[in-house]
Amino acid sequence: MGSEMEPLLLAWSYFRRRKFQLCADLCTQMLEKSPYDQEPDPDLPVCQAAWILKARALTEMVYIDEIDVDQEGIAEMMLDENAIAQVPRPGTSLKLPGTNQTGGPSQAVRPITQAGRPITGFLRPSTQSGRPGTMEQAIRTPRTAYTARPITSSSGRFVRLGTASMLTSPDGPFINLSRLNLTKYSQKPKLAKALFEYIFHHENDVKTALDLAALSTEHSQYKDWWWKVQIGKCYYRLGMYREAEKQFKSALKQQEMVDTFLYLAKVYVSLDQPVTALNLFKQGLDKFPGEVTLLCGIARIYEQMNNMSSAAEYYKEVLKQDNTHVEAIACIGSNHFYSDQPEIALRFYRRLLQMGIYNCQLFNNLGLCCFYAQQYDMTLTSFERALSLAENEEEEADVWYNLGHVAVGIGDMHLAHQCLRLALVNNNNHAEAYNNLAVLEMRKGHVEQARALLQTASSLSPHMYEPHFNFATVSDKIGDLQRSYVAAQKSEAAFPEHVDTQHLIKQLRQHFATL
Amino acid sequence: MLKAAAKRPELSGENTVSNNSNMAEVKPVFREVLPKQGPLFVEDITTMVLCKPKLLPLKSLTLEKLEKMHQAAQDTIRQQEMAEKNQRQITH
Repeated sequence: MGSEMEPLLLAWSYFRRRKFQLCADLCTQMLEKSPYDQEPDPDLPVCQAAWILKARALTEMVYIDEIDVDQEGIAEMMLDENAIAQVPRPGTSLKLPGTNQTGGPSQAVRPITQAGRPITGFLRPSTQSGRPGTMEQAIRTPRTAYTARPITSSSGRFVRLGTASMLTSPDGPFINLSRLNLTKYSQKPKLAKALFEYIFHHENDVKTALDLAALSTEHSQYKDWWWKVQIGKCYYRLGMYREAEKQFKSALKQQEMVDTFLYLAKVYVSLDQPVTALNLFKQGLDKFPGEVTLLCGIARIYEQMNNMSSAAEYYKEVLKQDNTHVEAIACIGSNHFYSDQPEIALRFYRRLLQMGIYNCQLFNNLGLCCFYAQQYDMTLTSFERALSLAENEEEEADVWYNLGHVAVGIGDMHLAHQCLRLALVNNNNHAEAYNNLAVLEMRKGHVEQARALLQTASSLSPHMYEPHFNFATVSDKIGDLQRSYVAAQKSEAAFPEHVDTQHLIKQLRQHFATL
Repeated sequence: MLKAAAKRPELSGENTVSNNSNMAEVKPVFREVLPKQGPLFVEDITTMVLCKPKLLPLKSLTLEKLEKMHQAAQDTIRQQEMAEKNQRQITH
C-alpha cells in the first residue's frame, strides 16, 4: 500500500497533465468517501480542496475562450435594436459592408458571403454568422451555406452542451445550483472564483453566475477588477451591452488588462460601432505595445468593414510580432490569391504547412494556388490529399468543386462535369457547383437543363450575382425577355458594378421600348 | 462597325525591301499583314460566368474545439437514447 499516491496529489497531477476526466473521477471517489452535503464541510480542508478541484476539472473540460465566442441566433439578428443608427453613414457600420473604397478585389474576382463581404481566409465562431437582410433569408440561409450554421438562439447550443455533460454523470449534476447558498460562497473569494467559472462555463447558467458575481463584487467592496469583468461577461451573454460596457470600463480603470480591452471591443462590435472599437484597440496598443491579439482585433474589424488593404497592413503587423500566427498568414494568403498573386499566396500557405497544419482546407488551398501559379506537378496530389483529409461531406464537396475549376482550366470538360456532379452528390446545396454545371451544360447546348440548374443555384444563394446573370443571358438568348429582365435586375442588385449586366439591361430596355 | 486604318506607309513593306537591298545578307522578312480595305466587325458576345474558385478558410482552435464538443455531446445523447430504448425493449 505504501506505493500508492495520496489521492488528492494524484488528482492534482491529473489536472496539471490535463487529464480532466480522470481527475474528476478521482475527486468524486474522494468526495464519496468523506461524507459531504451539498457544500463542502469547512472543517475538512481536503474535502474542500477536492470539491474545488473537481469543479475546475469539469470547467476545463468544456472551457472555450469567451473572447472568441460570439454566436448570434436568428432572434438576436433580426430583433436587434442595439445599433445606435438605423441608417448609419458609410464607413461607420459593420452592417453595410460598404462600397469597395480601397481598391480591393471586386466581387467578380473574390466570392462573397451571404452578408455581402468578401470571403475571409480564416473561420472563427463569430465569422460564421452574417447578418441576413430579411427574415426569410435568415431562416433559409443556414441550411444552404455552411458558413452560417442553423441556430435558433445563441444560448441553445450552450444549453445543449451543458445537458450533455450532465447526462454523463449518472447521479445528477455535481452541484445543484438551485440549492446553493450564494451569499455564503461569496464570502470566500477563492472558492467563489472557481464556483463562478463552473457555473458560467459548465452549467451555462448565466443568471446564477451573475448573482454570484454581484454578491462577490459587493463583498470585495468593488475593489476586485476580476469580478467586474465577470459581471460584464454575464451582461454580454444576456444581451445587456450598455451595462456590460460600464462594468468593463470600470474594470479597466482599476487594472488595465488585455482581456478587458478585448471584451469591451466585442461589446462595441455588437453595438455596431466599429470606429469606437478601433479607437479602443489603439488605446490598448498604447498600453500594451505590439500586443498580437489587439492588432489582430483591428485587422478583423477592418476586414469586416471591407477595407482589405488596411486589414492586410495590420495582419502584417501581427506577423512582425508573432510569425506563426495562423489567422494572419491565412488571411494575407487569401488576399494575395484573390488579388491575382497566387504564387505569393502559395508561399504563405506553404508556411502554414511547414508549421504543422495538416488538414483538408490547407491542402485544397495549396492545390488551387499551385494550379494558378502554374506548378502543375503539385496540383493534383494536393487535391488528392485534401480529399483524403476531408472530415465531412461539405468539405469534400468544396474540394470537388475546386477540382472542377482545374478541369475547366485544362480544358477537360468531361472531367469538369464529373467533378461538379461529385460536388453536388456530396453537398446537394452547393450553389456554385450548380451554376458552373449549368455553364457546362450550356456549352453542350442543353438549354433546358442549364436553366433548371441556374434556377436552383439562384434560389439557393440569392446573394451571388453569377446565377442571376447567367439565367438572364440564357433567357435572353431563347427570347424570354421578361424573365431575362427580372433576373438581370437581381444580378444588378447583387453586384451593381458588373458591366455585362448593365449592358444586358440596357439592351433589354431598348427592346421593350421598341415594342 | 469600324473602317480599317487608312494608309500606313511605315508598315507597307516598301521601306523594308529597300533597306534589305542595302545590306549584304538578305534576311527572311516577316511582314505584318494588315488588311487595308473592307469592313471590320467587332461583336460583343456576352458569355456566361463561372463562379470563382473558392479558397477554404482555416478554422480557429476555438471553433474546432466547439465542434468537437458539440459532436461528442450529440454522441453521448444518442448513446444514452439507444441504451434507454434497449432497456425498454428488454422490459417489455
